[in-house]
Amino acid sequence: MSKGRVLVAMSGGVDSAVAAALLVDQGYEVIGATMQVWDYSSCNTEEGNGTCCSSLDVDDARAVADKLGMPFYVLNCESKFRETVIEPFIDSYLNGFTPVPCVNCNTFLKFDHLIKKMKELNCDYLATGHYAQIERLTENSVERIKIVTSADDYKDQTYFLFTLNPGVLKNLLFPIGHLKKPEVRKIAEEKGLLVARKKDSTGICFVGKGDYAEFVSKNATPEQLKNKKGLIKRYPSGQVMGEHTGIHQFTYGQGKGLGLDYHEKLFVLKIDPKDNTVWIGEDKYLFADSLTVKDYSLLDDLCDGELLDVKIRYSVKGYSAKVFKSEQGLKVQFEQPQRAITPGQACVFYRGRQLVGGGWIRP
Amino acid sequence: MQMPEKTKDFENPTKVYLDHNATTPVAEEILSGLPIIARIWGNPSSIHWAGRGPKSILREARSSVAEILGGVSSQEIIFTSGGSESNSCVIRGIFDLQVQAKSGEKLFARNEYITSNVEHPSILKSFQWIEKRGAIVHYLPVNIKGEIDLAQYQSLLSEKTALVSIMMANNETGTIFPTQKLAKLAHEVGAYFHCDGVQALGKISLNLTKIEVDFASFSAHKIGAMKGVGVLYAKRGSPVEPLVIGGGQERQRRGGTENTLGIWALGVMAKRLSAPGFSVAEYFPKVQELRNYFETRVLAEVSEVKVTGSETPRLPNTSSLVLTKVDGEVLLMSLDLMGFAVSTGAACSSGSPEPSPVLISMGLTRAQAQNSLRVSLGRETNKEQIDRFIEALKLTIVRLRNLDSELNPSPEVTATGASHV
Repeated sequence: MSKGRVLVAMSGGVDSAVAAALLVDQGYEVIGATMQVWDYSSCNTEEGNGTCCSSLDVDDARAVADKLGMPFYVLNCESKFRETVIEPFIDSYLNGFTPVPCVNCNTFLKFDHLIKKMKELNCDYLATGHYAQIERLTENSVERIKIVTSADDYKDQTYFLFTLNPGVLKNLLFPIGHLKKPEVRKIAEEKGLLVARKKDSTGICFVGKGDYAEFVSKNATPEQLKNKKGLIKRYPSGQVMGEHTGIHQFTYGQGKGLGLDYHEKLFVLKIDPKDNTVWIGEDKYLFADSLTVKDYSLLDDLCDGELLDVKIRYSVKGYSAKVFKSEQGLKVQFEQPQRAITPGQACVFYRGRQLVGGGWIRP
Repeated sequence: MQMPEKTKDFENPTKVYLDHNATTPVAEEILSGLPIIARIWGNPSSIHWAGRGPKSILREARSSVAEILGGVSSQEIIFTSGGSESNSCVIRGIFDLQVQAKSGEKLFARNEYITSNVEHPSILKSFQWIEKRGAIVHYLPVNIKGEIDLAQYQSLLSEKTALVSIMMANNETGTIFPTQKLAKLAHEVGAYFHCDGVQALGKISLNLTKIEVDFASFSAHKIGAMKGVGVLYAKRGSPVEPLVIGGGQERQRRGGTENTLGIWALGVMAKRLSAPGFSVAEYFPKVQELRNYFETRVLAEVSEVKVTGSETPRLPNTSSLVLTKVDGEVLLMSLDLMGFAVSTGAACSSGSPEPSPVLISMGLTRAQAQNSLRVSLGRETNKEQIDRFIEALKLTIVRLRNLDSELNPSPEVTATGASHV
């Protein structure tokens, strides 16, 4: 007797392959799907360089599905991906932000489009290979469902999941969330999945080997790229240090590639999209102890002024901060100053291991 | 030998295959004959004893194919690797000969080509290939019924036309084109006429001596033989420039050691098409009746459904449906999960279907094309299978439509709080 029908999102990587394999072992009826999101023929990717969902990855996902004896489908999501991930990504860079496209991909593709496909295919659950865990607790006969961090602190991906609609949690499975990456690889080896030794995905899948600025220049319209040139100025003096050809080439805290030959180490402090000025200065000016978040979403209630762990980018650990509700959104007051709080990045809140919510950092 | 895991779906009697325009089941007599014929492993071009058996296999198959195409000459039959190769060979070959005729000059003697925009990709992409190299290609539109405007066709024909290529029957809707008339008009201006007959063979009666095309393409696996073998019919005197260059096989028109096993299978199936009980004359009304039964029931039992191309002469086995508010891709997957194999259009090699360009060319909206389903019956299809399919189809359509109104509530319903349905 099947435990239910599951649609598992397979990227072609080892994590989602093992997720699918574990579900098969657990007695679910499993259907695999890969979203074809981007025409990778135009970017510098090669096999195994660790991007998500390229056509070679589709072949890998299909091979794993075949090996596990489950049906597999490719879902064409190119136009939706362009509209909800690529275009906002380009727009964001051209407005002085440093975006996190993976959140949008989760919001609009994995946990919206695939949820829809899950229902259409008469499935009970949607599973992904995310490093995150679903915790189901029954309190006073009411089921409460939480997202908590993965057993692998290093790989944890809950940072990218704060926009999930709480209503979909009951249909979600994260089959590898209780495992650490080496354990996942070991299972893949034991099961003879050919993706067992495939490299981890790093960076942004659709950018490939080139850099972000190059991707933006190539994929933005000429209209969008017009009037993005500006001056590089020293903070606080206002001294003009040079010129640049587009603000999308910079991110907060950046110390390299400023095109300056100067005796001190200087960093990007602020990008002003109004006149395209890139402000640079000493490292000490990069620190701030508060930030504002707009367009936030919460997976659980939040007490005003609650002390939470707050992450301001994916690759750092959380720091203690009090989170206040304000008219503009949320105000986050850190106990210690933070370096390079970057507009466009996500600010994500945790109560212990529980993902509480998050929002977008705005200037 | 142990049977590999992959055969299990094909042995499962509960699975129903309704995608015969994509490919057909290999006939029992082929399956039983294959291990024997595979023992005749010699190279047909060899002079010694090992070449004789294989050579006679080719001879017999060629003669059976020539016979079934209307009693054409064996010399007019060229074996290729499939319909796509035959199609590419004609288009690129004629273009190449035109270029050679006027080599050194950019203006070729005849440099205009005419095709329809509902052709198979092997035709359309071959034309794009020669277009990039200087050819002028006219793509004829078809109307919602799947018809070509003959007046428009005539206005495009001129003494500059080198080649016309228009299919005999469309793979997605099954609509049949007036090949004889189209070929005659092309010949009046001195152009060659090629016809992609891949979907027509075995389904409608075919007589190449009567319809007088210069070239025609066919595929073995659409008539119960095996993949990897095709036919290029080239009427005596029609120039063939080989696409595959090799050791002079097929009278210098297609290089490469022949696929004797596949060609044998094609020959057997071609011969069977003229045998009592298997002829097109007997098959056509039988499958048409079953197809019409399917369509009549679907039209009566499912709301908001249309059949594309039903007013036009059609292949007797093909049904192209537009089901409002039902995504064809999801419908296909849902039916697959229930054991039914159907299609949303042409089988796409990437497995990632865009809405069918053929249906869009016919004037269907993008939404209608996305809501399309192609059902193509075959010789082994029976009424019991069709009945089971209709029940599964109805169930799935109701489920998907309910889900659609749940996920996309119509504005009137939310605005007034009451349903008008």
